[in-house]
Order: sequence, then C-alpha cells, then structure tokens
Amino acid sequence: MIELNSIRKAYQTGSQSLIVLKGIDCTIEEGELVAIMGSSGSGKSTLLNVLGLLDDFDEGSYVLNGQNMDGLSEKAAARYRSDFLGFVFQSFNLISYKTALENVALPLYYQSVPRKERQARAMAFLTKVGLADWAEHLPNQMSGGQKQRVAIARALIANPSVILADEPTGALDSVTSDEVMALLKEINSEGITIVVVTHENEIANQCDRIIRLKDGRIEGANA
Amino acid sequence: MMDRDTWLEIFHTVLSNPLRTGLTGLSIALGIFILVVMQGLGAGLETGVKQTFGDDAANLMEVETGNAQLAFRGRKPNRRIELHNADEQAMRSQMDSVPAWSRLVYRWGSTVRYGNEQGSYGLRGVDPDQREIGQVNVTAGRFVSDRDIAQRRKVAVIGGQVLADLFPRGTKPEQAVGSLVQVRGIQFAVVGTFNQSGSRWENRSVYVPFSTAQQLFSNSDVVSRVAIGTGEASIDDTRETTTSLTGWLKDRLVVHPDDAEGVWVDNRNEQAEMYRQIFGGIRLFVWFVGMMTLLAGAMGVANIMTIVVRERNKEIGVRKALGATSGSIVAQIVQEAVFLMLISGCIGLLAGTWLLQGIAPFVEHEFFSNPRVDFRSALLALGVLIFVGVISAIGPALRAVSIRPVEALRDE
Ligand SMILES: Nc1ncnc2c1ncn2[C@@H]1O[C@H](COP(=O)(O)OP(=O)(O)OP(=O)(O)O)[C@@H](O)[C@H]1O
Ligand SMILES: [Mg+2]
Repeated sequence: MIELNSIRKAYQTGSQSLIVLKGIDCTIEEGELVAIMGSSGSGKSTLLNVLGLLDDFDEGSYVLNGQNMDGLSEKAAARYRSDFLGFVFQSFNLISYKTALENVALPLYYQSVPRKERQARAMAFLTKVGLADWAEHLPNQMSGGQKQRVAIARALIANPSVILADEPTGALDSVTSDEVMALLKEINSEGITIVVVTHENEIANQCDRIIRLKDGRIEGANA
Repeated sequence: MMDRDTWLEIFHTVLSNPLRTGLTGLSIALGIFILVVMQGLGAGLETGVKQTFGDDAANLMEVETGNAQLAFRGRKPNRRIELHNADEQAMRSQMDSVPAWSRLVYRWGSTVRYGNEQGSYGLRGVDPDQREIGQVNVTAGRFVSDRDIAQRRKVAVIGGQVLADLFPRGTKPEQAVGSLVQVRGIQFAVVGTFNQSGSRWENRSVYVPFSTAQQLFSNSDVVSRVAIGTGEASIDDTRETTTSLTGWLKDRLVVHPDDAEGVWVDNRNEQAEMYRQIFGGIRLFVWFVGMMTLLAGAMGVANIMTIVVRERNKEIGVRKALGATSGSIVAQIVQEAVFLMLISGCIGLLAGTWLLQGIAPFVEHEFFSNPRVDFRSALLALGVLIFVGVISAIGPALRAVSIRPVEALRDE
C-alpha cells in the first residue's frame, strides 16, 4: 500500500537547513495498523504529512497504491488525498459553525456528491461511530471524544484506502482514548490501512507494528 | 455548485462579524444610492430642459431676423430687418441640396373655436417638411401637404391639448378629423391631430399651411422664420453652412457683417452638441462620484475578506486536507464577496429608486421633470457591483490559495 525509499526532507529556516528526515525506508502493507513513535521533534508529524501528501519531500521515492507520488502538482495531490486518504488530527479540526453531520459530509462536497446523498452517507457514518443522536450538534456542544469520533467519521466518508492519524488521542483522557482506539481498530478490521502517530505506549501496543523514529531515521521495527 | 452548504458558508462569513459587515455594506449601499439618486436627478434635469426647449430634431438650422444695431451702407442703426418671400426663394436657390425646408409664420394667442368652446393657442403656418423638422407626431389624419400649400387650403392640424380643451370629453383624435373650427374667425377644416409627448408648448399649437397663413393672417409677404433640416450633415459641415449662409443673408439684407442682431442663423446642431456635452459631463461626474464611493466599499469588502481568510487560515488548511482544490477555495471567497456587494448594492438601488419615486411628484419644475432610474443604468450598476466584488476578492482569494495545508494544521 505504502512504499517509502530513502525519503529525505529538510526545512529551510533562514540560511540554515534543518534535516528532519534523513532517509526513511519503509513499507506498510494493505490492512496494516501501524504506530509511529519517537521523541518530540523526531519528525513523526513531518513523516505523516509526507505520507498524506500534505507536504513534499526532497529526495527518495514514495509509491502509494502502486502510483508514484514524486513531484506531484497541488491539484494532483488534492485529487489523491480526496481519493485515497483520510485524516484525523490531534485537535480534531472540525469546522466550528457546521454541525456534526455537515462536518462529516464536507469531503463529499469536494467530490461533487449531491447534497441528499452526502447527508445520507454522513448519517450512516455518524451512526457507525455511535453519534447518530448528535448529528445536529455543533462541535462546541460535544466532548473531546465525541469530536474525535466525528473527525473519524469524516475521515471515513470518502472511502479512503489509508487513514493517517496524528496523535488522535493526544487531547483525550485515557477512557476516551481507549474508545477512539477501539473505533480505529474496528475500522482497520474492515480492511482500511491505518497509520497512527502517538506518544502513548498503550496505544502503540494495540497496533500490528511500531515504527520508531529517532533523529530522522527509523530506529528499528518489531511485530 | 451553489447548494445549501455554499449559502450556509456565505451567511457565516457575512454574519460572523455583523458590525464590520454592516459598515461595509452600508458604504456600498450608500455608493449605489448616491449613484442612483444623482443619476435620476440628472435624468430629471435632462427631461425638464428638453421639454421646455422642445424636442425638435437636433439636426436643423433656423434663420430669423431682428433689429439691426449698426449703421451700414447708408442705412440707419436700429432698423427692422425682414425676410420676404423673394429673399427666402433666393436663399433656397443659392443653397446646395437641403434635406428639409420649412417656412414659418407665427401668430401667438390666436383664438380657436369649436362649437361653444374656445381658447387661445399658437398658430403656425408651415410647409409640409415641418413634420420632419419638428418631429411632429401625427396621431390621426394627416399633416399639411404640398397641395394645401399650392391651393392655400384652409386646413388645420391641431395639437393634443387643443383637442382636449375644445372637443367634448373623450373625443378620440380620429373623431376630431373632419370637424370645422374657427381660427381667428375664419373657418378651417381639421385634417389631422398631433401629440408631442413631454412637450408643454407644442401641444397647444395649431398647424396650418404656410401660404394660407401668410395670406390670411399677415399683411405682407414676410417670412417669420425658415427652418432648414440638415439631415446627416456633420457638425463641422453645419458650422460651415451656418457661416456662409449668415454672410450671404447679411449681404442680401444689407446688415453690417459685425451686426449680431439683424439676421442670424441658429444652428441647433451646435446647441444639441452643447447639451450633449453638458449632460454627458453631468453623467460622467455622477458615475465618477458613484465609482469612488463604490471603490471605498470594494476596499471594505477586500478588507473583510482578508480578515476572513486570516481568521480561517486553519479552516482553509483543513478543507484542503479534505480535498478542496484551489479553484473551490477561490470560488467560495469570490462568491462571498460578490454576495456581499450585491445584497448591499440592491439595498442602495432600492432605496435610491424609492426616494426618486417619492420625490418625483413634488419636484416638477420648468427645468426639472420626472427624475427616474433608467433600467440600463441600474443593470450597469449591478454589473459594476459584481465586477468590483470579484476584483475585491482576488487579493484575499490568492492569499487563501497560497495557504499550505501543513502550515494551517500545525498544532500550536
Ligand atoms: N515548517 C517548518 N519549518 C521549520 N522547521 C520545522 C517545520 N515543521 C517542523 N519543523 C521542525 O522539524 C522537526 C520535526 O518536526 P515534527 O513536527 O515532525 O516533530 P514531531 O515528531 O511531530 O514532534 P511532536 O511529537 O512534538 O509533535 C522539529 O525540530 C521541528 O521544529
Ligand atoms: Mg507532531
């Protein structure tokens, strides 16, 4: 599903260049649930953004779903994102003036799906994450765990092959963290590849595999 | 794609800071309001002036005589100059082809009588070409003909106001044709009626054949005035003709070349040109002022959109991560700006129209009549609003497009 070969990336700050990814080689198979761990500043988010086509890389090659992602245009990246990828963020990133239902339906808007169908599908996914009764609520009327479940429903609605989650439980207490993790595992069991960036061992241990980043390189992998 | 979600987002932008939106909207509404009201007042002035000075064709010259002020070739100053039939004929034969030519004799305050009703009207002895020259709108019957002239027939073409005054209420123009009226005590047959919309004086006149009028109502063979249609001739050509004709007339009628009052040729082309320039200037000024106010409004909208984009930096990043293309982001911002412009503009347009309609009945004046918003200007104003809306959205939209999803998503 995902193949990275010697991915290198540096950030240019003024005259200085900070090399964040110093040659990442890794393969993630279809249907895997993988955790990325590492100390703060080790490049986890950077790697996830590269995987998510939200950021570009300097060297190496990235093959997603059999297609080469080198030198993609903005437009093509947006296209692949909307066709293959779903995102879940630490701070949920729901749109504050849209109801849960509208938030979940948003990706379909950009795929020009008719409104009726958008609404119906969004409702189905809200039901799946157990929030059917909260469809008409605004994000600020929901708890963190609920918001993250709405965000997961939004990530799922466009039928992605891969879900990329950057510290999805970082802003949640341990009970709600477990609920969210259980939801991700359930989704994974339906065949969707999931990559989770996390700091927490309890979360990482529930995954099939842990990729540890240190100083811009993969430290080691275990099953 | 303009569905409910698009509208929801537009409303969110517009309502997220009501004060800011309200102030900007007000400045746009005010711009359009000023534009509409001033445009309407300009139109009112134009209509009023046209009504007062008549709506004769502009492509014409008029020859008139008066009192010569200067002594010349042994003649005393302050003498009356007259244009006789022989002068008129000589004048005509020395001119190149003319598209239209009408001699006129006037008798103001002529009593016209029908049955027991009578009134005082302007009597005009004219040639058939007067119909074209004066753009006479014949509503029934016919105008003065060549045969009327040749046979000195006692026929009359009466104005709409004469018809309304003298004939029984509700008489249709066709019904008046064929009736007999007394003009200055002499019986004339009504052969036609005319009506000049928006002209106060013309409708209070009666046209009769020139030859008949000269024979019956004037004691000499004097021609009061000659109207010469200039057809398609350019303004420069008519200026040239005016100069040469004036010279010829002064020579023939023995008037000093520097005498401004003995005989003159009034070039209406030039007057019309002057009016065109004056009203063109007024229009330009109105648009200029309106545009400036609109420009201020547009900057307000651009400002709002810039703030909206900045406030929603993160949201735009999220949208991009969820599959929004640059095109859809630009479309959203442009739609919001145009919507804001259009709504405020329409409010200004309605308020301006409403004000003009409200004051119209109270401001009727000799030089001012029927102020109104014409449909074309309103459409043009709306077009300008949309255009300005798009322009004002370009900057903020480009800024939104340049937002990279990663940067917007970075958790601080
Ligand atoms: N846009 C940027 N410009 C410059 N430096 C950046 C930028 N984004 C990230 N960095 C730097 O790159 C390094 C890796 O950042 P990254 O966000 O990938 O770390 P992380 O592993 O996700 O850390 P955390 O656990 O704190 O989220 C950090 O040193 C960070 O300061
Ligand atoms: Mg991070």
